[in-house]
Amino acid sequence: MALELKIAGVDAGYGPVKALQGVTLEVRAGETVVLLGTNGNGKSTLMKVITGQVRPTRGTVTLVIDGQSHDLTQLPTDAIVDLGVALVPEGRRLFPKLTVEENLTLGAFRKAARAAIAGNLDFAYESFPVLKERRRQLAGTMSGGQQQMLAIARAMMSSPKLLLVDEPSVGLSPLLVAQTITAIGELKQRLGLTVLMAEQNFHQAVRIADRGYVIVHGEIALADASVAQLRDNSIVKELYLGGVA
Amino acid sequence: MINDSGGVFETTTGRGWGVFSVELLIESIIFGVLLGCFYCAVSIGLSVAFGLIDVPHIAHPAFLVLAAYCVYILNDTWGIDPLLAGVLITPLFFLFGIVVYRLYHAMFEKRGSDAAVRGIAFFFGVAFIIEVLIILQFGVDQRSVTAPYIGKSWRILEMRIPIRQIVAFVVAVSLTLALTLYLSRTFTGRAIRAVAQDEGALRLLGADPIRIKTWAFGLATAILGIAGALLIVVAPVEPTLDRAYIGRTFCVVVMAGLGSMSGTLVAAIILGVAESVVLTSFGASWAPAISFSLLLAVLAVRPQGLFGR
Repeated sequence: MALELKIAGVDAGYGPVKALQGVTLEVRAGETVVLLGTNGNGKSTLMKVITGQVRPTRGTVTLVIDGQSHDLTQLPTDAIVDLGVALVPEGRRLFPKLTVEENLTLGAFRKAARAAIAGNLDFAYESFPVLKERRRQLAGTMSGGQQQMLAIARAMMSSPKLLLVDEPSVGLSPLLVAQTITAIGELKQRLGLTVLMAEQNFHQAVRIADRGYVIVHGEIALADASVAQLRDNSIVKELYLGGVA
Repeated sequence: MINDSGGVFETTTGRGWGVFSVELLIESIIFGVLLGCFYCAVSIGLSVAFGLIDVPHIAHPAFLVLAAYCVYILNDTWGIDPLLAGVLITPLFFLFGIVVYRLYHAMFEKRGSDAAVRGIAFFFGVAFIIEVLIILQFGVDQRSVTAPYIGKSWRILEMRIPIRQIVAFVVAVSLTLALTLYLSRTFTGRAIRAVAQDEGALRLLGADPIRIKTWAFGLATAILGIAGALLIVVAPVEPTLDRAYIGRTFCVVVMAGLGSMSGTLVAAIILGVAESVVLTSFGASWAPAISFSLLLAVLAVRPQGLFGR
């Protein structure tokens, strides 16, 4: 599957507040790319731009699938979902008063996804057995780690090719963060997904990353870096690794 | 024993409040259950509109009375069976609901988070306009419909149960069952239950929250076609009858636990039985106070309502 996400020179914000400035980023088929940055640096805004929830004031967001280009800045969210893009949003955003299984089936709301719902549900339960055990339980009554699993599984219900994950570690204990990141890595391997993950937990994120970007104050401070380059970078050291070595 | 008129107020033996016979109590409970089923049918649309999608639909009972008058027109002009007439007007009411929701959305929901509060004024106005329009067209006199089953009753043991009450029972149970299945088994139904919990999350899954809510409100209004038919089958209607149902319908929906269809049936039956028993033992003047006393009592014990999650 030839798939490529190209973000070029994107400015975006909320009214007078500029959250992103000149952001350029690329994700190629089969890669796991991490977008590193601490809170409030624009990671979530970029995810919203890709999924059509926030429109950029400048720049382009293009998804190339099998040689065909789609301008995501012109498409509504539902059309972007139909193209095979799914977002696991920050804070999980489950429907707390619906059961686990109802949350999952809503992940397959789009017509295109409904055909494959039975297979995808089986896959979700096989990947996350705890969700099968608790499929009749209300989502809001589960632990944070289980909720994060459910949020990822729900996003997978639309058979995405490009999985966007926004801050999967928020509110989880270190052990659960590790489990969540591992689960994303495994899903990616099994399904041949392309993954763009925004994360502030450097050590966990780079475990499954092929490449990374660092975003600071809405601008890309370090672009297209290998994991080794990320570890050696002075910005990363300052932000994550406890000051200048 | 029970006689036709005096039996209801046969309270002369002076043993506290339980002065009537066991037979009378049983009868009032059975009538209460049937009355409750009728309350369920007239409330269940509100359970969708207010309970699930958070629209402060004060005009719900006015829509109900409007539906009853539409049924009256069809019955009076062409002699169409009232229940069939109720089914026939559902598409019209579906469209009516869509228009009203779109207006409400454009004027309030889209403009801010306190839409529910300001929307009350909007729906109050809509209710008032409907009342006035009905009065202008039909006057203030009561209107009723004719059908073979109106006025007949089944005799079971010592009781005479009006067939129109049994019709209400069957319709209410069918509506509750159909809505429960629809809301749990279909994609749109599940989205209707999800939309008020997190619109943004639903949008991310490729559903359009506004379309979902428009559909839900249309559905809630369409149901009123059938409920309006029941209203005029059970008793004659007059233009301001909606006022008697604002308290009852909201009581049922809140007591049920917002958005639960089976809860709506149970809460409506509780209200029906309470009204019926109080009416039999204390007299009719107490009945209007029942719905809110009951509601307050339930909310004191279970703030989320009987079936609230």
